[in-house]
Amino acid sequence: MKYITLTFSLNGNKISLKTHGNRRLLDVLRDDFGLTGTKEGCGIGECGVCTVILDGKAVNACLILAGQLEGSEVVTIEYLARDGKLTELQQAFLENGAVQCGFCTPGMLMSATALLNEVPFPSEIQIKEAIAGNLCRCTGYKQIIDAIQKTAIRLKK
Amino acid sequence: MSEFKPHQLAALERRVDAAPKVRGQVRYIRDLKIPGMWLGKTIRSPYAHAHILGIQLDRKFDWKQVVVVTAKDIPVNQVAMLENDMPFLAEKTVKYRGEAVVLLAAENQDLLNEAARHVRIDYKPLPAIFDVFASQVSFTKIFGDNNLFKEIAISRGNVEKARQNSDLTIEIETKTGFQEHLYLEPQGVIAIPEGDQVTIQGSLQCPYYVKRAIDNMFAGEKRITVIQAPTGGAFGGKEDYPSLLAGHAALLAVKAGRPLGMFYDREEDVQVTTKRHPSYHQDIAYVNKDGRIIGVELTIFLDGGAYCTLSPVVLARSALTALGCYHVPNVRILAKAVATHTVPSGAFRGFGGPQAIFAIEMLIEKIAYTLNLPPDQVRKRNLIRKGQRTATGQLLKYSVSARDTFQDVLRRSGYKKKFRTYQNHNADILKYLRKGSVSSLKAGEKLKGIGISVSQHGAGFTGTGENKINGKIRVEILPDGRVKIFSAATEMGQGEETAIRTIMAKALGIGREAVILSDINTDVVPDSGPTVASRTTMIVGSLLIEAAKEIVKKVKIDLSTKRKLSFTYRNGFFHNSSEKHAFQDAAKLSAGWSVEKQYRHPPIIQFDDILWTGDAYPVFSWAAAVAEIEVDPITFDVRVSRYTTSHDIGKAINPDQAVAQIQGGSLQGIGYALYEKIRLEEGHFDITGFTDYIIPTATEMPEFEVSLIENPYPYGPFGAKGLGELPLVGAAPAVVSALWMIFQEEFNEIPVLPEFLAKIFERKTGKNVSD
Repeated sequence: MKYITLTFSLNGNKISLKTHGNRRLLDVLRDDFGLTGTKEGCGIGECGVCTVILDGKAVNACLILAGQLEGSEVVTIEYLARDGKLTELQQAFLENGAVQCGFCTPGMLMSATALLNEVPFPSEIQIKEAIAGNLCRCTGYKQIIDAIQKTAIRLKK
Repeated sequence: MSEFKPHQLAALERRVDAAPKVRGQVRYIRDLKIPGMWLGKTIRSPYAHAHILGIQLDRKFDWKQVVVVTAKDIPVNQVAMLENDMPFLAEKTVKYRGEAVVLLAAENQDLLNEAARHVRIDYKPLPAIFDVFASQVSFTKIFGDNNLFKEIAISRGNVEKARQNSDLTIEIETKTGFQEHLYLEPQGVIAIPEGDQVTIQGSLQCPYYVKRAIDNMFAGEKRITVIQAPTGGAFGGKEDYPSLLAGHAALLAVKAGRPLGMFYDREEDVQVTTKRHPSYHQDIAYVNKDGRIIGVELTIFLDGGAYCTLSPVVLARSALTALGCYHVPNVRILAKAVATHTVPSGAFRGFGGPQAIFAIEMLIEKIAYTLNLPPDQVRKRNLIRKGQRTATGQLLKYSVSARDTFQDVLRRSGYKKKFRTYQNHNADILKYLRKGSVSSLKAGEKLKGIGISVSQHGAGFTGTGENKINGKIRVEILPDGRVKIFSAATEMGQGEETAIRTIMAKALGIGREAVILSDINTDVVPDSGPTVASRTTMIVGSLLIEAAKEIVKKVKIDLSTKRKLSFTYRNGFFHNSSEKHAFQDAAKLSAGWSVEKQYRHPPIIQFDDILWTGDAYPVFSWAAAVAEIEVDPITFDVRVSRYTTSHDIGKAINPDQAVAQIQGGSLQGIGYALYEKIRLEEGHFDITGFTDYIIPTATEMPEFEVSLIENPYPYGPFGAKGLGELPLVGAAPAVVSALWMIFQEEFNEIPVLPEFLAKIFERKTGKNVSD
């Protein structure tokens, strides 16, 4: 397969990458950029642990191919606390006990971040739907939903 | 934050491991970059039972860039567990579909896949057994001479007499299915060989189980170190399985002479790793018309799969839990763990308990509906209390909360009132359904149900287990006066790190930041026993309390010697009339000193594991739950709308985390009841991952109403008992109790899928309502 050269934005940096177009965004992030905060749980878009934000939308990085990245903007978990300071949402995850084993946490945070960017004050149903593609086997989701709701309230103030 | 408030700091620090997790900074096993690491692949049997006739490597393929391991390469080809019946690789016979036969290692996945196409294994298929009843009478031998991994008989009182003296006999057969753990992080292990040393790192619960298995595999010829990597969920699934996986990684690593990673993708993980034991129960109750149970005969069969793994202990917990939370004077329990040609069943949160509680709770439902009594009333009449004895004759001397948790959920959920209201609400809908006139239903109208369960979980190892393990910990005073805990207890999401540090800090009266934990590395930490059986907080925690007392004593002596004064210790300070020293300052005097503690059960706890009498567990944790459900009368889709539960865990070390555990465990139990189905097709699981094995998502989450009851265990740290498994145990029977309530039908099998509910009415109307 031929190499292609892609130009896109990754966590605010302009990137020029020579790669095979059929590689998964998940592998590009983890292998080429060492961004291992994005996890792999199934590889077929079912579990959501690889969720990143692509052009403002939460997507499964295992379902995006490198060839789709041209001109796009990709944001990963590592970008959230880029200046060292946690975002309100990350902070709320800590305060509400929304973290247990932590494997779903980055994907969950990315889905919730995309939601709050788009819908500043989501209903509980909107929250549940936004994270319905992010599976968690530890928490029972309650604390995660609480954290997202409380963040929305805090950001509104 | 505009102004600093101490409680806010406490809130931020609730979980000691959470901050790096929200930053995406935690390096799980797949996130490690190991220079020169190759990957491993497993070639598995396509047959459930077959002779291996031969293994051929295609001569046309260039094998120089690939390492191949077969059974012949293994010094001791048995995974050390309870019985050493399971090989790392099958040599002459395969006993389940998916059993490992050949291992390959290569630089990358493409090469591995290519190499795998050039391995040919010839088999002679043999008759296979997938049924526990067929297995017991089959001439085909899977284990021993009768295909039984273990048989347990428990007897108390006189069941014959109970039968004669009772008003009637009520029987039910119940059945529970496989359950997959579905931890979000699939299994993964890395092995690194250096001379005679092999270092194993992996996503695992029990580092010393793995160490023992690999020590044994290499016949003591290698020096083995096991390190736990951050673990993305386990639920028992990373208790026994990693011993096998680590063996594979170590064999390939040693032969290749380089680091080797074995990482399962989701499909491989769900198809070949252990599952919860499916169960079959035949239960008989001798009862009086008022619902009092005079005697029971309970028979349990667990499907252990092809190899023994932990089945005897799972069976023991099933048998010892079989009576649930009830006091019955005349009891006969017979339990068997049976071998079949399926993937070995293994540890899973609850460990035989969920099956047993489901069975006994369904027996109670049947008694209630047979006698036309409210299900809560039958439970209440028989609930066990302090001063009464269990099936093994264990006298419950303390911390018994069957009644308290039960009353609490009844009251908080409004069970009795809703039971009647929902029955009235359902009457018309059911009438239409029974007539088959679906068109008369109002749009969006749902059947409403309310169900209840009571459950218990013995904390710590079963029977004499703790005294066999003799778990150890060590605590050392560091040069800066902080204390460092060395224990093999592992964090897998349940909050172990937070609990352990909190217990130590509280015991010493100091801040949690002054207590640190060693990495989990078998070269460094003593064997505290495995992180299983809801034992860590209670058992390891009690050792920490003892260690703390000695630390205070030691520092006090060193301080008194230096200051030539005597001191008393309170709230983190050594003081007398003239001086006051903070713990951490004073402890610097004792830097480098350490204390080791080893667990023994309190001497009053005695169990006979030949006669199965006595104290099966040092203490039980108790729970009750009320599940409110809605059933769509067209699609028969079931949703749990509200879940009220009350748990007595003695003392919650971290109440927020305890509630979180309860919610997560309850939802896993709701999945077990309603969604999580695995079918066997010729010994092959019909699931590939999240697509066809459905676990609850955020949209299936009920409203949780959780309360904690603190009924302290005198020998636990601050009164704490076990928590981890209990929340799952009672969830399925509470949900299914609500189905009995709606349909007034016998429900005796989980999971209950919509197809099953539709069939109730197909039988009644002769019409196919599910179309």
